[in-house]
Amino acid sequence: MTKILHIVGGGMAGSEAAWQAANMGLPVVIHEMRPKVGTFAHRTGDLAEMVCSNSFRSDDDEQNAVGLLHWEMRAAGGLVITMADRHRLPAGGALAVDRDAFARAVTQALHAHSLVTVTDEEVTTLPASGDWIIATGPLTSPALAESIHAISGSDALAFFDAIAPIVHADTIDMNVAWRQSRYDKGETEAERTAYINCPMTRDQYESFIDALLAADKT
Amino acid sequence: MAERGRETLRFGPMKPVGLTNAHRPEDKPYAVVQLRRDNALGTLYNIVGFQTKMKYGAQTSVLRTIPGLENAQFARLGGIHRNTFINSPTLLDSQMRLKARPNIRFAGQITGVEGYVESAAMGLLAGRMAAAGMTGQSLPPVPASTAMGALVAHITGGADARTFQPMNVNFGLFPPVEAKGGRRGRKDRYKAYTDRAKADFLNWLGEGPHAAAAE
Ligand SMILES: Cc1cc2nc3c(=O)[nH]c(=O)nc-3n(C[C@H](O)[C@H](O)[C@H](O)COP(=O)(O)OP(=O)(O)OC[C@H]3O[C@@H](n4cnc5c(N)ncnc54)[C@H](O)[C@@H]3O)c2cc1C
Ligand SMILES: Cc1cc2nc3c(=O)[nH]c(=O)nc-3n(C[C@H](O)[C@H](O)[C@H](O)COP(=O)(O)OP(=O)(O)OC[C@H]3O[C@@H](n4cnc5c(N)ncnc54)[C@H](O)[C@@H]3O)c2cc1C
Repeated sequence: MTKILHIVGGGMAGSEAAWQAANMGLPVVIHEMRPKVGTFAHRTGDLAEMVCSNSFRSDDDEQNAVGLLHWEMRAAGGLVITMADRHRLPAGGALAVDRDAFARAVTQALHAHSLVTVTDEEVTTLPASGDWIIATGPLTSPALAESIHAISGSDALAFFDAIAPIVHADTIDMNVAWRQSRYDKGETEAERTAYINCPMTRDQYESFIDALLAADKT
Repeated sequence: MAERGRETLRFGPMKPVGLTNAHRPEDKPYAVVQLRRDNALGTLYNIVGFQTKMKYGAQTSVLRTIPGLENAQFARLGGIHRNTFINSPTLLDSQMRLKARPNIRFAGQITGVEGYVESAAMGLLAGRMAAAGMTGQSLPPVPASTAMGALVAHITGGADARTFQPMNVNFGLFPPVEAKGGRRGRKDRYKAYTDRAKADFLNWLGEGPHAAAAE
């Protein structure tokens, strides 16, 4: 009987795990609950959706540990890094990508792989038999989290983090703001102007901080 | 972040260094809010470092006090989110298997690494480990001197289980490089870490089962 590797969650980790195992000759089934069951942060049914920032952070493989991780994944034929490189955007030294094109490319590559099957089922309990990789991420569905909690006891945790706001570019006043990367970093003009900057005077900064501190928090 | 002190933001994400106001080059800004391009079309920008717990109503009015954003429309507001992760140092073996149920591996952010890159890297390792085990090939452990090895060593044992928190990759997780006489600057030290990691990683790839060429 041919062994099958089951992977729960087709995010960054599950997609990469599937690609690696399939390229080693193993049939793989990815169980990804989206789009049937969503999370509060994911918007699509694509595999490897980036839920917040569109950046894979520093691409400097000599001076930065994240850049080194990029390098190692390239050396190992990683799917995520290959598609990130393919859909790279100018970002002054960071590996930022077009999130939709990136996720679609990962999704298509996995669907096209002869050893990979993708199903849209939520897995709600830790399976008792078979070979599994659980890669359900920070937004693991509550049912599965419950099952993990049950077998691991108080060792499993949940906690809260925060995400950054996204602005429509055409609503930014470019008579006030300007385009420039810090220290004009970057090889091309696009890289050197990758960021939009909004300046503050001392008074503006102080009243901004006052407003921040006074605002209602969730 | 502002709660940690009024100046925290000005020395963090809002620091004004390395930037010159294109409209008024003679005025040195006291602080700068940076936005990073969020899609290829350049129609969306995210506010760098502005992860926030502010309620949506308050958030919109506070963000619109930023010069240039007075009329900004937001595609998505900041917010709090859940982050589920297991206590890997106690639950997982060095092969990322659940000790109590070795048929199950964990990978990605749920293992207590943090970020897209780290999660993909842990998926890469878990996929190779699972495939090697299931197809009867041997896969030597990835050296702790590599970024992948340092991360997996951290979550499966290096970290203190009692204070375990999601971790980004950083040189602090690597075994120290031996200083070869003289004082090394930080740049040289980081370069020594990455040189060693690359050599060891290529060596590890050479020893392991070979992945078929990508389709
Ligand atoms: C709101 C938010 C903002 C973030 N911002 C950033 C950032 O700016 N930069 C950064 O580097 N990282 C960020 N992260 C972290 C980043 O999302 C993760 O590091 C990364 O996506 C983790 O990869 P993963 O594969 O472990 O999980 P994910 O990419 O989340 O993938 C897990 C997948 O499992 C699926 N799933 C969950 N439960 C089940 C189930 N029971 N059955 C089937 N499928 C299931 C989900 O739908 C999802 O597709 C953020 C996370 C969140 C939640
Ligand atoms: C290991 C583990 C064990 C657990 N054990 C238990 C247990 O024993 N008992 C139990 O009851 N629960 C348990 N849980 C579940 C856990 O407590 C849940 O995280 C909790 O119920 C919170 O769920 P939530 O939907 O309110 O939070 P979240 O899913 O994090 O979301 C909060 C709410 O705010 C909204 N929201 C937040 N940010 C945004 C945004 N930016 N944009 C739009 N909407 C947003 C979401 O729509 C959501 O409704 C466990 C979880 C884990 C991981």
